[in-house]
Amino acid sequence: MPKTKKVKSTITENGETREVEIEVPDVEVSWGKREDRKNVGSRMTRVDGADKVTGRAKYTYDIDLPGMLWGRILRSPHAKARITAIDLEPAKRMPGVKAAMTLKEAGATVRFAGDEVAAIAAVSPEVAEDAVRAIRVTYEPLPFVVKEDAARAPDAPRVLGNDRPNVEPGRARSEGDVNKAFAEAAAVVEAEYRAQARLHACLETHGHVVARQEDGGIKVWASTQAVHGTADEFAAIAGIPKDKVEVVCQHMGGGFGAKFGPGAEGRAAYELAKLAGAPVKLMLQRREESEAAGNAPSAIMKVKIAGAKDGTITGIEASGYGTGGIGGAGVPFPYIYKTGSQKVTQETVRTNIGPSNSMRAPGHPQASFLMESAVDELAYKLGLDPLELRMKNDPSALRQAEYKIGAERIGWKQHWNPTPGKGQGAKVRGVGVASATWGGGGGGGTQVDVKISRDGGVWVGVGTQDLGTGVRTFIAAIVADEFGLPREAVRPEVGSSKLGNSGGSGGSTTTPSVAPGVKMAAIQAKFDFLQALAKATNEPPDKVELLPGGVVTNGTKQLSWKEACKRLPVAGVSSRGTWVPELQQSGVGGVQFAHAEVDMETGRVRVLKIVCVQDCGIPMNKLTLESQMNGGMIQGLGFALTEDRIVDAQTGRLVNWNLDEYKLPGPWEMPVFEPIVYEYPEAKGVSGVAEPVVIPTASAIANAVYNACGARVRSLPLIPKHVLEAMGRVPGRESA
Amino acid sequence: MKPFEYVRVKDARQAAQALGTERDQAKILAGGTDLLGEMKDYLVTPARLVNIKTIPNLDKIEHDDKKGLKLGALVTLSRLAEDKNVRERYTALAQAIDLSAMPQIRNAATIGGNLCQRPRCWYYRDEHTICLKKGGSKCYAVEGENQYHAILGGGPCYIVHPSDPAPALVALGARVVITDGTKTREVPLEQFFILPAQNVRRENILAQNEIITHVLVPAPAPGTRSVYLKEREKDSYDWALASAAVVVTPNAGSVGAARVVLGGVAPVPWRVAEAEKALVGQPLNPATLARAAEAALAGATPLEKNGYKVPLAQAVVRRALSLTMA
Amino acid sequence: MARITELDVNGSREKIDVDAERTLLSVLRDDLDLTGAKYGCGEARCGACVVLMDGRPVPACVTSAGSAAGAKITTVEGLEQDGQLHPLQEAFLEVGAMQCGYCTPGMIMAGVALLRDNPDPDEAEIVRTLEGNLCRCGAYPRIVAAVRRAAGMLRGGGAA
Repeated sequence: MPKTKKVKSTITENGETREVEIEVPDVEVSWGKREDRKNVGSRMTRVDGADKVTGRAKYTYDIDLPGMLWGRILRSPHAKARITAIDLEPAKRMPGVKAAMTLKEAGATVRFAGDEVAAIAAVSPEVAEDAVRAIRVTYEPLPFVVKEDAARAPDAPRVLGNDRPNVEPGRARSEGDVNKAFAEAAAVVEAEYRAQARLHACLETHGHVVARQEDGGIKVWASTQAVHGTADEFAAIAGIPKDKVEVVCQHMGGGFGAKFGPGAEGRAAYELAKLAGAPVKLMLQRREESEAAGNAPSAIMKVKIAGAKDGTITGIEASGYGTGGIGGAGVPFPYIYKTGSQKVTQETVRTNIGPSNSMRAPGHPQASFLMESAVDELAYKLGLDPLELRMKNDPSALRQAEYKIGAERIGWKQHWNPTPGKGQGAKVRGVGVASATWGGGGGGGTQVDVKISRDGGVWVGVGTQDLGTGVRTFIAAIVADEFGLPREAVRPEVGSSKLGNSGGSGGSTTTPSVAPGVKMAAIQAKFDFLQALAKATNEPPDKVELLPGGVVTNGTKQLSWKEACKRLPVAGVSSRGTWVPELQQSGVGGVQFAHAEVDMETGRVRVLKIVCVQDCGIPMNKLTLESQMNGGMIQGLGFALTEDRIVDAQTGRLVNWNLDEYKLPGPWEMPVFEPIVYEYPEAKGVSGVAEPVVIPTASAIANAVYNACGARVRSLPLIPKHVLEAMGRVPGRESA
Repeated sequence: MKPFEYVRVKDARQAAQALGTERDQAKILAGGTDLLGEMKDYLVTPARLVNIKTIPNLDKIEHDDKKGLKLGALVTLSRLAEDKNVRERYTALAQAIDLSAMPQIRNAATIGGNLCQRPRCWYYRDEHTICLKKGGSKCYAVEGENQYHAILGGGPCYIVHPSDPAPALVALGARVVITDGTKTREVPLEQFFILPAQNVRRENILAQNEIITHVLVPAPAPGTRSVYLKEREKDSYDWALASAAVVVTPNAGSVGAARVVLGGVAPVPWRVAEAEKALVGQPLNPATLARAAEAALAGATPLEKNGYKVPLAQAVVRRALSLTMA
Repeated sequence: MARITELDVNGSREKIDVDAERTLLSVLRDDLDLTGAKYGCGEARCGACVVLMDGRPVPACVTSAGSAAGAKITTVEGLEQDGQLHPLQEAFLEVGAMQCGYCTPGMIMAGVALLRDNPDPDEAEIVRTLEGNLCRCGAYPRIVAAVRRAAGMLRGGGAA
């Protein structure tokens, strides 16, 4: 039975994070030896899997309450317009319409097609759809611009207003003398690369069910990546204390960075519920989801890169821009590799399109494509193997090890073409490589509660959320390991803001934020349990011990877990643990290799295999981890091959909003995936990997396409149009 | 928008009455896969839906070795593609169905509905864009996002016909039986479809009160091979960038008769007599294939963003033809 | 307006009273509280709403209640028999064929129909069958593996 000690942690209350000293049992705080971890790090099926395969899992869209109304939002058809009048009356008069409200007033300006104008609540979704169309709005259309190139012109219509320019300087970097590097280089490559804007395309759209409670509070079901953050915002919207708000998200159908707060639709749902005096469900329809609920910005960059004969990158000069609609844009650049000297300027270009939102490794996949394409071109121009050139310029020891594993698994030596495009026949093949970098550490403030009851039940609660990565499962595993119990004995609960504080699930922070807190709670709970048992049985605390299998030695007697728990006080044992930094770590690498085939006659690209070698510190659950790695590669594959958000310049409207024309990869596009978890002995903490695994895929595929066909496709996606144009096969559209 | 009325009909006469003569006031509901989507997007707001799935005997596949196939208009795409006889003798049709939409849609969608489906042009499909096809004054594809639009037969509107089975059926020489319950007419499928230049609001000759009852496909001549090939940006559920249905009847080592019909490149299934001429009397060797492919696209006039469809469609024609020899 | 007053869902006759042109998806979810089938796109572009109609997978979001009347509808909630999961549900669990799980019911329904017609589908057949079912989290490789595994379980005499 250990004593206690004080350690530093951070705590978040009312949105403020501060350092605190917490008292914990005086045991070594570590994940211990791998062989001692029975559940953690193994391949575990999901504890909530049965709910998902039977349809029992309730998503926000599935919530149905007595007397519930259906909310819908009326959105601007114009990319930019002044609202001159709004008349809600025709909608209000429709049978079944219970509330109608404006979200913008006459005189206000809408800035993108899909901008919120008004909202209604009605007795059925069908009535609600008809009702929003009955609202009479008069617009005075204004000049608009939706293409980033056009928006940069000096005389372009101003997107945000006459006092705000469309172009704002973004991240800039300057170091060393790039002109000297270019003058002395053995080879210089100069080209423009274009990475397209994308949609998150969460299968469950954004939305909420808002129900006012008898105590003056509200309960909100939200499809969200942050129950606590969303509760904070709803408390502010409703003007009530946070403890009167409960935000619930038991299951959610994808967020990928786009679901962090109530948004306009959540605010509308709250106001409609208040106005109608009834619960309101307001889920976006697919078009609105695509128009208004977030997107990943485009990135266009002119890159000039210099290299020495031995492959050392000696200088890079780049000027880029991108648009996130009325939101921001920008990429980390230069990316991954040491470049010697550098001079980089970037611009955020505003366009009359719905605002960008963080999307899985914001800016990184785009940066990767711009950088890795240029680096690849430099290698070929220098007559070097692009893998060797990367290894020469990559400062990460982790990635150095990962390159070797990945090269072996993809068969780099067998498949790499020294003379791209010289293959026989219509279909040619090649390989490509690219790399990732990410933080992957956790944030402070996660508070985890453990309750052990007299029936032997172990409950763990924390106000995080499971986006599908398997949070519940690793929570159960950590606690089970600490107590030597089977995983099934532990009941994890997440997805409510009534549970202990935890941050939003973004930036690969969930696992490194939650797992350390759970571990600390488990340590504390074990300590408290043994102390309570000693007291209840009048044994000296140092005689009470927990053995594997949940057996308790109580002095000389051995008790089963259940027998021991029966002796606890009526209230059981309640413990709380708080996140500590020692159990997580930051700074992940990751490399990916792709083997691809190009049809020289049709320009069609098919990917044969992708290898992802990814470190993540100490893995929690290999089964879900590898699934997340596959998922990253698949989203990267979509970025590479088909996804492209297209807005028409004449109408200012998104033309490919539905899921056939916004082309997500389907099951038929799947290559062979090899997700390899790179484990290394120095790892002491947990890192998240949602982001790094999506970053390099498209770049690796684009480089494989060049290696196969000898044409450098500098515009994503790698659709037949772009590939045939790059090959010079389209009259009048020869590639630069 | 909620339709005012929903009626089930028992025969073509009832259907004609229910459909009336005022265009788009009533709409035919069969599989519903296209119509319900159009209604959800408020592209059509019919006052009446006329469910014709209740008409008996229109869901039959009838074979006759000499006369060929007689397909009820309500036969679902799945059933058609599963039919052994169709797969063996009308291969291009089965292949076209396999490559069309997705299995779940094919289970619901009917062959009649497939031929009557509305274009997938994203300007047409946008509730708030009033293009030529919806009575507006402008085809937005001309200066807009025209990467998927027509390179042949376009103007003043540049849709492409979205059906995969249609080019196959045209290549196989199919005819459609159309009726208003009193007058019945039989029309070559090739003449069923109309170009925007003829009537920009419609894609076919069906009158408001008419329905298709049957599709007739003549039995192919002995030795005939047919192939449907489709290129798309992805294999999972995607529309054609370009497709080709080819039917070749050999004659003593060379091509005796040929039909070449393109899909995904024109407002109607695009039969190319020039390509057929380039084939007849020739051995099917690489030079012939290349000449036929050249001829098939000779008339192409691409818009700004769809020039890539020309080499792509040429490749599809060459490959489809060479597959007839496989 | 034609009304539909009864639907045969998961083996029981459910009394309802809905407009015939309402979508089957909306009737299942909002009137019968069978929320396994999901709204993803509303226009048969994603497969999240797939249910079986007389054994065939159809997109419930563009199927009218009128055309569903008289047919046998099976939803994911109807697969469990006497507390026993369908082998495909078991296989999804075991291989971890899901992340967020929103596409899972549609995937399973399409897969169940495939396995009924073809007890030993190869990977290409599975992929072709599921081509219209989107999974944004990217669980496809495992979904295909789950169908293969379930096929093996079914052939091995497991519960059907």
